[in-house]
This record gives sequence, structure tokens and C-alpha cells, in this order.
Amino acid sequence: MGLDTPKSMLGSRNEEPGGELRLGDIPLSQTVELVRIDLPSEGAEPLLERGVLPGCQICPVRSSPTGDPIVSVDGSLLALRRETADCLCVRLLSDAS
Amino acid sequence: MRDLSTKAGDATLTSTQVENESRSPLIALIGPPNSGKTTLFNRLTGLRQKVANYPGVTVEKYVGQVQCDSERNVELVDLPGVHGFSARTLDEQVTRDVLEGQVEDLPAPDAVVLIVDCTRLESQLMLVEPVLKLEIPTLLVLNMWDELEERGGSLNELELADLLGVEVVKTNARVGLGVEGVKEFLSQVEVRESGVPLPEHVLSNVPRGVPLPMIDAFTARRRHLDKVVDRASFVSPGPAESTNALDSVFLHRTWGPLVFLAVVVVVFQSIFTWAVPLMDGVDLLITTSGEWLASRLSDGWFRSLVIDGVWAGVGSVIIFLPQILILFLFLGILEDSGYMARAAVIADRVMYRVGLQGRAFLPLLSGYACAIPAILAARTVEDERDRLATIFITPFMTCSARLPVYALLIAAFIPEGRLLGPFLGYRAAVLLGLYGLGIAAAVVTAFLLKRTLLRAQPGSFVMDLPSYRLPSARSIGLRLLDRSKIFLRRAGSIIFAVTIVLWVLTQFPRTDAGPPPIEDSALGRIGQTIEPAIEPLGFDWRIGVGLVTSLAAREVIVGTLGTIYGVEDATDDSITLQETLRRDLTLPAAIGLLVFFAFALQCMSTVAVMRRETGGWKWPILQFSYMLFLAYSGAFIAVQIF
Repeated sequence: MGLDTPKSMLGSRNEEPGGELRLGDIPLSQTVELVRIDLPSEGAEPLLERGVLPGCQICPVRSSPTGDPIVSVDGSLLALRRETADCLCVRLLSDAS
Repeated sequence: MRDLSTKAGDATLTSTQVENESRSPLIALIGPPNSGKTTLFNRLTGLRQKVANYPGVTVEKYVGQVQCDSERNVELVDLPGVHGFSARTLDEQVTRDVLEGQVEDLPAPDAVVLIVDCTRLESQLMLVEPVLKLEIPTLLVLNMWDELEERGGSLNELELADLLGVEVVKTNARVGLGVEGVKEFLSQVEVRESGVPLPEHVLSNVPRGVPLPMIDAFTARRRHLDKVVDRASFVSPGPAESTNALDSVFLHRTWGPLVFLAVVVVVFQSIFTWAVPLMDGVDLLITTSGEWLASRLSDGWFRSLVIDGVWAGVGSVIIFLPQILILFLFLGILEDSGYMARAAVIADRVMYRVGLQGRAFLPLLSGYACAIPAILAARTVEDERDRLATIFITPFMTCSARLPVYALLIAAFIPEGRLLGPFLGYRAAVLLGLYGLGIAAAVVTAFLLKRTLLRAQPGSFVMDLPSYRLPSARSIGLRLLDRSKIFLRRAGSIIFAVTIVLWVLTQFPRTDAGPPPIEDSALGRIGQTIEPAIEPLGFDWRIGVGLVTSLAAREVIVGTLGTIYGVEDATDDSITLQETLRRDLTLPAAIGLLVFFAFALQCMSTVAVMRRETGGWKWPILQFSYMLFLAYSGAFIAVQIF
């Protein structure tokens, strides 16, 4: 499977103004919305099955001893690898909403 | 009530129809991992359950009888916990096959019980839509209802039932609350009409390898669910305070790794220290019962077969039962409490460097007791390449079957002196070195595999961290019972057969005076045939025979050497096995033999399990040859060095 083709990327390709934010850059307790998963489908599937879908809200709740993020999605606690968190494009929730 | 008169009069009934008429309803129990599925299963079936394997794979099949009211029995099958039906893992594949009626000897289920953890309803309900497509009666069990309310959440469950078109029951399976409601549903299930076509492949409608439709399917399913959950007035529970508090210790930057190390040390201590009195007890039981039996049988070939063959052979394996049970007791507590997932998170970084992942921690830890349950436990490793790499290196973990061999050789050849003051003697150092050797081989092998045969595309790593819960003694007790049964069945079949074959090989060709001297027996000849191959390692034909017999199970070599030397030195009982070994084996050869056992895959049961878990002979043959190569060259190098 071609990794570099746009088709293998999941989710909408709308670029956020002001550069892209990755889940790995988000400080603890800051809730964000998932925009896109930059992974081939095989890698994205475990995330999708656990409710990590574009449009869902994610909040990093703590950092593991090895510095990997532990996030809360829909009341589920999920441990991710840094590398996986860096494949998740997110956007801040606007204050208005 | 079905009309029995037509059945009697109708000669054209097919066998499946007859089967349908006579069998009791079969209900499948499914749910995501950590939803309390197995707890509910145990509540419903208790001791009326049996474990087997699904045909062709080693996924365990739990089927239990549920006694409903009015003398009605239904069969309940507990399926592996899954997040979806894409068949990415063996567990998902089995779950899908059972639900679609594709499994031999198991009819398509007549109803489904889907259990979810209602404290995180939205993501857990992702399984609902595909299950509804099966178009069979479905019960949705909202488990952990008490926790939902405690944490300030709420849900109009009747509205949810209406919207989804299923029956709904609120439960707290751990204490048995609401289980009666599940039984009521089960008591109303009827056997599916024969002739109605099975819902073929409805679960696999999410196409694999086609990225965009897949995410669309998931997103569409999720949008629909969000609406449903909203209309059923679901209020998410607040954060789980106790889980949060415990995580701030167990996943703390400093305390987390310390607790992790403490847990590993306690598990090892339990296997190697606390299990010893129990193992001595079992040993005593086997010896005394053997002696009693020997006194009751008249001298002759039959007594020799029963005592020297079966009793000694099977007994040498049963002795490991306490160790395995203690390991599973600890693993059960760690898993059911929710700690194991945290341990996997802590281990993940180190595992990742080697090319594995955190989920491999549990199988590899189990490997220190026995590779077989460890290889089965690796099914939870979601990535297929990671799973293969994990089970490939599992036999390098120093399993308890190596210990009797190590103990014998170390006691015979390594002096008792002190290496590091009062802390570390030579003998302990050698034992530690052998453990280290196994770990080193595992690390190097995993590293090589992941860069050659099992090179992976960049994947993802995500793991659920369930809320901490008090493990239930009932669940763990039932699991230990299963483990004992499985282990004893193995000892009673494979090992039983091997010991009989070995015994026969020592008895033929017969001479006028009875069994031949050991070097003239068929077994001795086999040893002499392979002697040239092992001579460079400093082993003679006796060790050769031991290496051949230990193919069945490593520890068998101890008994075999005992037999060989026992037979040879029948005139002088005072010479112990250790002394005879010292006479026949040089120190370098003994170290070579230790290294050989650290690496070689001397265990046919492991090979058999590997074949089933990998679906062919390719991996077990590769693994066996690779480990034999390492063992031979390792032993050769050791002999040159020392």
C-alpha cells in the first residue's frame, strides 16, 4: 500500500489556519477536537474502533513515566505512543462553543 | 412447544434438522475487552462450563450451561473481547466466525447478548450496529450501572432500548446485580428455525485496505450512535476519582517504574520461592503413591512400565502444577485489577526499542513459567507482526522446565564459593547468567526479525486503560480451575504417550535375560547414532539420548540420565547422579550443556502450539532450526572458552 498517497490519509484534508497542531503538542487538561488521522488504514483501525474518530474530543490527562500521552476520549482512558499522538491532527475548541 | 408427531412421521428430515430439533438454544456472549463479559459469563454458568479450543486455532472456546427457570437449559458461549469485527486479530476472526455460524461443531447462535461498560457508552456501542445486522434476538447488557450512577451519570435505558430495537438490562455483574434479568432473556430464546439462511459475512462489511470507505463507515456509525445516545438522555459520568488517584502513583514518573519492578520481583519470588513447598508436597505425593503402587504390582514388565515409565514421566511434569497455578493467580489479580494495562504502558518504550510493544509484556512474563500459556496470551498483541515476533522469542524466556536441568548441572559442576561477598555465590551467578543469556537472545532475535521477516509499516499504538477494580475471587478461582484442567490434560496425553514410547525403546531388543543393557537398547543406539554430531560439544551418547528424550519436554533429560546411569550402575546405588555426571562430563562440556538448554527449543508442545497459532509449519520449523543453531553454536563456543 502506498503510504505517501493522499488517499491513504484518513479524514478531511482541510488545513487549519495558522499551521497544524498535533495531539503530541497539546498540554495536559486541554480538550481538543480530532481533525485527521495521518495513518494508513491498517494503523488507524485500532484508533477508530476505540472511538478516536475525526470530530471526537480528546483530552490529554497525564504523561506516562516514559513521556507517552494518556488521553481521555468519551470517558475511556487510552494510552498512546508519542509517535501515534504525532499522527493525530487536532484543533483547539473555540471559546464560543 | 414443537409438534413432535410430524417429526416422527417425516422420513425426509435431514440430519441438521434433527439436530436443530434436539439441541438447546445457543446464545453468544460478546462485548469489548474489560466490559465485564467473562464476569457475567461466570455468574451465569458457574461450574457448568467447559473449555476447549476452536477447531484449527488455539483460541479458547468457553461454553457453559445456564439453568433458566422451568427446567430449561440454554448453552452460552463466551466469545473473546473485541472492539470490532474486522478480523485484524485472531480473537476478532473467531468472534466473527462464531456469530456468522462458520465454526465447525457450533451452530450459528440463536441470540446474542452484547455487554457494554455503560460508563463509556458511546465508544462501547460501536459493536451494536454490526450485531443488529445479524437479525437475531439481541440483549444489550448495560454493565457497571452502579458506577455510572456513582459518578453522576445517567441514561434512560428504556428509550435506548426503543431506539436500538433491542432488549436492555442494567447490571453490575461483579456483585451479581441484574443477572436475573439476563436469565429471563435467555429463558425466552428459541432455537432458530432450520432452513433460514445464515447471515453470511454481514459483519465484515467494512472493507479492508480501502481507506476512505472504512473511515466513512466508522464515522457514519458513530454519528448515528451519538444521536441515539443523545435522545436516550445519556449523561456522561464524571471522572473516575479512584482510578485517577491510583494512576497518579502507578503511572508516576518515579513511583510508576518502582512499583513495576516490585511487581515483577514479587511474581518471580512467588514462582521460584513460594511455590517450592507446594512442589515438594506434590513430589512427595507422586513418590509415595508410586511406591504404594509398586508394592501392589508384581515384579515384571508391567510394573516397570507403570512405575518407571508412566509414574516417573508424568509425575516429573505434574510437579510444575503449583508453579503454574501461582503464576496464573498473580497474573489473574494483575489483569482483573487493571494494573496489567499500566505495566504494559510502562514496558512499552523498552519493548518498542527492541521492535515489540507493551502488550508483549504479559506473554513474555508468563514465559518464565511455561511458553505454552504465554504463546496463547500473545493473542492480545493486536499487530500480527508484533504477535509473531513475540511468540517467536517467548521460548527464550527461562521457563520452569529448564530449572531442573539447570539445578542438576549447577549443583554437580559449579562450586559453592562466593563471588560478590555475601550477596552472590557462583551458583546463583551462573543461574542469573543463564536467565540473562535467554533475554539477550530474545532481544537480538526480536531486533533481527523486525528488521527482516517481520518488517512493519509505521503503525499505531493505542491501549485501553480500564478503571481499577477489585478482582473477584470467583472469577480468578474459575480460571485457575481451567488452567489446572488444561495442564493436566496435556500431562495426561502428550507426556503420557512420550514416556511410554521412551520406556518401550529402553526395553527392546529383548535379550534372554530380559531388557537389554541400556547401550544396546533401541534408545542407546539412537544416542550412539547422533554421538558424532555432538562430540565437538564434549557430549557422549548418554547425553545424546537425554537430548533426544528432552525433545518431548526439557526436564525429561533429568529422568532419562537417571534411568541410563541407574541402569548402568545398578550394582552400586550409592553413586548419585551428580557424581556420575562429574565423572563423565568435563566442566566445559557441562557449561556447554547449560548453554545448549538456554537456547534450544526442546519442547514438542511448544512446537505444536506454534503450528496452531501461526496456521502452518513455516514458523515452528524456522523457530526450531534457529534455536537449535543458536544452541549448538553457543555450546560449541562455550566449550572452546572454558
